[in-house]
Amino acid sequence: MTKISTGKFSLEDLENVQITINNIVGAIETKAEEEGIETGPTPKPGVSGLRDWDYKLLSRYQPVYTPVCDQCCYCTYGKCDLGGNKEGACGIDLATHQSREFLLRVITGAAAHSAHGRHLLHHLIGVHGRDHPIDMGPSNLFAPNTQLVTGIMPKTLGDLEEVVAYVEEQLMQLLSTIHAGQEGSALDFESKALHGGMLDHVGMEVSDIAQVSCLGMPKSDPDVSLAEIGMGCIDSTKPVLLVIGHNVAGVTYIMDYMEEHSLNDKIELAGLCCTAIDMTRYKTEDRSQPRTKVIGSMAKELKMIRSAAPDVIVVDEQCVRPDVLDEAKKLFIPVITTNEKIMYGLPNRSNDTADQIIDDLSSGKEPGALILNFDLLGEVAPRLAMKMAPIRDAKGIKSLPSEEELKKLTSACVQCGACELVCPNNLPIMNAMVAAAEGDITKFEKLHDHCIACGRCDPVCPKGIPILNVIEKAAQKVIREEKGKMRAGRGQISDPEIREEGVNLVLGTTPGIVAMVGCSNYPEGTKDLYTVANEMLQRNYIVVMSGCSAMDLGMYKDEEGQTLYEKYPAKFLAGNLINVGSCVSNSHITGTAIKVAAIFAQRNITGNFEEIADYIMNRIGAVGVAWGAYSQKAAAIGTGCNRLGIPVIVGPHGSKYRRALIGKPYNEEDWKVYDARNGEEMPIPSSPEFLLTTAETIEELMPMIAKNCIRPSDNNMGRMIKLTHYIELSQKYLGHLPEDWYKFVRIETDLPLAKREELLKILEKEHGWEIDWKKKKIISGPTMKLDVSAQPTNVKRLCKESVC
Amino acid sequence: MADEFPFEISPMFEGERIRKDNMHVELAGPKSIGFELVRAADMNDVEDGKFTLIGPDLADMAEGSRYPIAMIYKIAGELVETDLESIVERRNHEFQNYIQGLMHLNQRDDVWLRVSKEAVKKGLTSFEQVAKAIMMLFKNELPFIEKVETVYITDQAEIEKEIENARAVYKARDDRTKGLHDEDVDTFYGCTLCQSFAPTNVCVITPDRISLCGAINWFDGRAAAKVDPEGPQFAIEKGELLDAASGEYSGVNEHAKRLSSGEYDRLKLHSFFEYPHTSCGCFEVVGFYVPEVDGIGWVDRDFAGTAPNGLQFSTMAGQTGGGKQVVGFLGIGVNYFRSPKFISADGGWERVVWMPSMLKQKVLDSIPAELKDKIATDEDVKDVEALKNFLKEKDHPVVKRWVVEEEEAPAEEEEAAGQAPQAQYQQPMQYIPQQMPAGFMPAMPMMGGSGTGGVKIVLKNAKVTVDKIIIKKIE
Repeated sequence: MTKISTGKFSLEDLENVQITINNIVGAIETKAEEEGIETGPTPKPGVSGLRDWDYKLLSRYQPVYTPVCDQCCYCTYGKCDLGGNKEGACGIDLATHQSREFLLRVITGAAAHSAHGRHLLHHLIGVHGRDHPIDMGPSNLFAPNTQLVTGIMPKTLGDLEEVVAYVEEQLMQLLSTIHAGQEGSALDFESKALHGGMLDHVGMEVSDIAQVSCLGMPKSDPDVSLAEIGMGCIDSTKPVLLVIGHNVAGVTYIMDYMEEHSLNDKIELAGLCCTAIDMTRYKTEDRSQPRTKVIGSMAKELKMIRSAAPDVIVVDEQCVRPDVLDEAKKLFIPVITTNEKIMYGLPNRSNDTADQIIDDLSSGKEPGALILNFDLLGEVAPRLAMKMAPIRDAKGIKSLPSEEELKKLTSACVQCGACELVCPNNLPIMNAMVAAAEGDITKFEKLHDHCIACGRCDPVCPKGIPILNVIEKAAQKVIREEKGKMRAGRGQISDPEIREEGVNLVLGTTPGIVAMVGCSNYPEGTKDLYTVANEMLQRNYIVVMSGCSAMDLGMYKDEEGQTLYEKYPAKFLAGNLINVGSCVSNSHITGTAIKVAAIFAQRNITGNFEEIADYIMNRIGAVGVAWGAYSQKAAAIGTGCNRLGIPVIVGPHGSKYRRALIGKPYNEEDWKVYDARNGEEMPIPSSPEFLLTTAETIEELMPMIAKNCIRPSDNNMGRMIKLTHYIELSQKYLGHLPEDWYKFVRIETDLPLAKREELLKILEKEHGWEIDWKKKKIISGPTMKLDVSAQPTNVKRLCKESVC
Repeated sequence: MADEFPFEISPMFEGERIRKDNMHVELAGPKSIGFELVRAADMNDVEDGKFTLIGPDLADMAEGSRYPIAMIYKIAGELVETDLESIVERRNHEFQNYIQGLMHLNQRDDVWLRVSKEAVKKGLTSFEQVAKAIMMLFKNELPFIEKVETVYITDQAEIEKEIENARAVYKARDDRTKGLHDEDVDTFYGCTLCQSFAPTNVCVITPDRISLCGAINWFDGRAAAKVDPEGPQFAIEKGELLDAASGEYSGVNEHAKRLSSGEYDRLKLHSFFEYPHTSCGCFEVVGFYVPEVDGIGWVDRDFAGTAPNGLQFSTMAGQTGGGKQVVGFLGIGVNYFRSPKFISADGGWERVVWMPSMLKQKVLDSIPAELKDKIATDEDVKDVEALKNFLKEKDHPVVKRWVVEEEEAPAEEEEAAGQAPQAQYQQPMQYIPQQMPAGFMPAMPMMGGSGTGGVKIVLKNAKVTVDKIIIKKIE
């Protein structure tokens, strides 16, 4: 037998013998071998498969725990107080429990993406079949995360099933360790968390590959169109159909029904969260104008519902507020749930007729329905919206107070401070109340942008003021002007684009890649995103957006009324602004880093995680910024970046993830790697300085981004540009030279051009370096020397034997 | 020190655009005249740091006005030579853009500058400030400039007098560049800048071979090597000419060996098949061998379709790169098409059979007249069969090769294999002939051991269920 495959076999020379083969272990390697591809050492790694790599990361970037609470209440022995180095009843200590908590966050997030992927895949295979080819655009490496982790190079939808199955199995293994009496080492929990983060990127990639291949989404297209975004772009004179969530599968049926029945101009179809992004991607690969509008991130959910504008709400999964049904009921908005993950206790109407459902919902007999049949959903939602609009109009439904009521409500405030105490961002609500009572609503207008509309203030007000409604009412003028533009998600960065950008990366024209990802729990509102992105774009960084931050960036306009999406082109080139797409498109950001290794260094990426992560960490100046990260998914995404050697900065709320991974720049021993040419140790700069850390303000954030784009293998042109921006950003935002800038200088050509002489003087005077002033050369001082041919690696096995 | 200027100097202002409404004054440009010129001079003829202005200064220029401008820099130093003038001159563009509130477009006698209102408000009132900043940056970046002196002219008549002179210099320079070939120089330049991403790649830059990325030519290499002879760009003594047709030099071979840690010991500069130049990753065009017609096709990054061999740019590009010598594929910069030594080892343009029409248009001037119609594009053919017919019909020079092959019929495979005698490439060579696109590797060897052995088992009426088969390599 030369070829073994699964299935049933009958062999002719055996009499009535049937052989059933269920599973072939090692099939990945065999298949890869047949295709002429070398498989690395770790295809489909198990929980311990990359533990050595994790330990290398964790020894330089040690976990720092910031417990939200120092108790554990996981089992009935407890709850146990783990404070003051006490152990719990099961024997667990605080560090271990915190790392367990972090692991739980990560695998919860990874499960959300992967289950989303599994659902999409299942659905799309049902529609298009297992043999439907994968098409991601003009790339050879179209599933970089999948190939790197599992060793599988999927070609069809069916091939993705094995990938998801691997992710599922691993997630289950990880979840089991949360149980009492399992892992007892904080570091091993950390390694497991890194494993979970890695799985997350595979799960996300499967989701996006499936939908890009089947749903006519743009395929690595830099020229995708701009979609309208913002509460202000909703025309509520039409019936408004609001969709919330992340999984666009069901929504496509609504869109198709509307198209077929020429309802596009009659109904306002708008989305919140990533479903909204994916709606703008659906069938727009021909660069046609998206047919739907985007309202924004989760921070707009309650505000949008409370505006009473939606006539029907359809939800799918993830980041959908559990109180959507309760809120909607109050305003006579029927809610349709479409995914098993969210059913809100509604009756399953999947087998009923559209007419029956529409009757029951429009009459108010039922507040909503569960419809898992997408054909039915496609018909019910738009028809119901058409029917509800006049009914709700006739009832005169509104929730926001009138001008008069606003005055009355704000005057009722006694400034007890209860609302500010529960506000996640400690917003100055009382001041705004006082001002509004006196007729000045500008404070509320400002507050609106900072408010994440969580609604925690409402129930704590002793005077019963519906605070969120007050904020929204007072900000009506601002909300009406909330009309922006967002570039529809383009999907992957194609291989040819990466080749094109290579020169810039090498010559330092592109100082780094900044991925601004994550949710909208910003300390200072969406303007922060704009400020940071604009600054970095002007400095020629490539800025990559995804998910909620991609939406929020589109809300803010400059003095000329332009969003950054309109101002900057969207190729993978220096000074370009890219939106890869929804939450699951985050996998394309890590995918890009993997592709760089494959393309420029011709590294094998098949089942070769450690080597590629090592390459990325030493060579690719990429930094993730999750300024408003709130979710478990964000924790998973960031952790997946970390295992690949990409550092991530989260906003101030990020400390609530309970742990950071921070290096010690003062500890020289930690900053040494091998030179792969001969295995000798070589010192490296302390960058990235951390894998996960928080920044308090954007002023602190910006120099941090620039600094953490520095990599050991920078050539002098790259280092000069990176150092230039690090120094300039520090001077611009913090008002001083960074205290460690000189540590990154290896040779005079590393120094910023315009400041070379000035800095040489400082090096001589303050750091005792010897300078040859005639030649403007550094004679002695640097602890590292410039050698672009050096091949820094953390992995001893990648070194050549010493060749002396 | 940076404080001595009333403006910020930073690469972040490079992309700064100054629109009409925001402009204080426009200099040169399409509606006026001007130029920029760098000249190498004797040490004694240059007064370091001196600035001379002929004509009105910025402060005398009314808001919204337009003036001509000429910018002449005289540089001197022990290592300064005429060949470096153009390198320094190009920096004028880059450095003027570093200045906040100053926009510089184009080059030579096409320059076009604008000064923003804001910059003037902040204190940019004299060209001297600009010139001083540029002189400072010149010396910082290129320390071989020991002395530099500047003359700016804003007087129309004076510029008209000088501009012909400048144009003569440009022409002389262009003639020199065009007329300069590998055989005219003793020194080539190596560039390892991209080793920060492609750890084993070494570019050899010669007058006839620009770097793969297209960003660095022989003159750039020369300038950089003067700044820092031990830096990432360095001189390679070309040594003895071993083979003129393919561009093999003993000095280059020695360097190839040293820089690849012994992995490669020969490198032919203008060869496609034998010891080709290594590729990094950012090449603009990839060449591919089409065994069926014994010719070479080229496909560029911007071409999203498939080449006649059924493959896309990205797929073929994926086979090469990473600083490896890969036989059968070659990454190049678009400019290499313009080299008179373009794959001279393998017949040059006469071996080229296909390219996307956009790419062909771009390099049409460099294609020998008699071949212009004979090279097929995506508009002419879609597959190898059609390509074959096209070439035959147009009587492309490669057709003559077929005749030779047909006569030596049985040697067909050796023909290709004979092109790569070096031992370490035997494996990749196996897939060159015939079925290159499909299987890049030899088929998996048969599993050893099956069907042999001493025991015969006969199964009857049995049902065998295998829950799992574990395949392991035999250690």
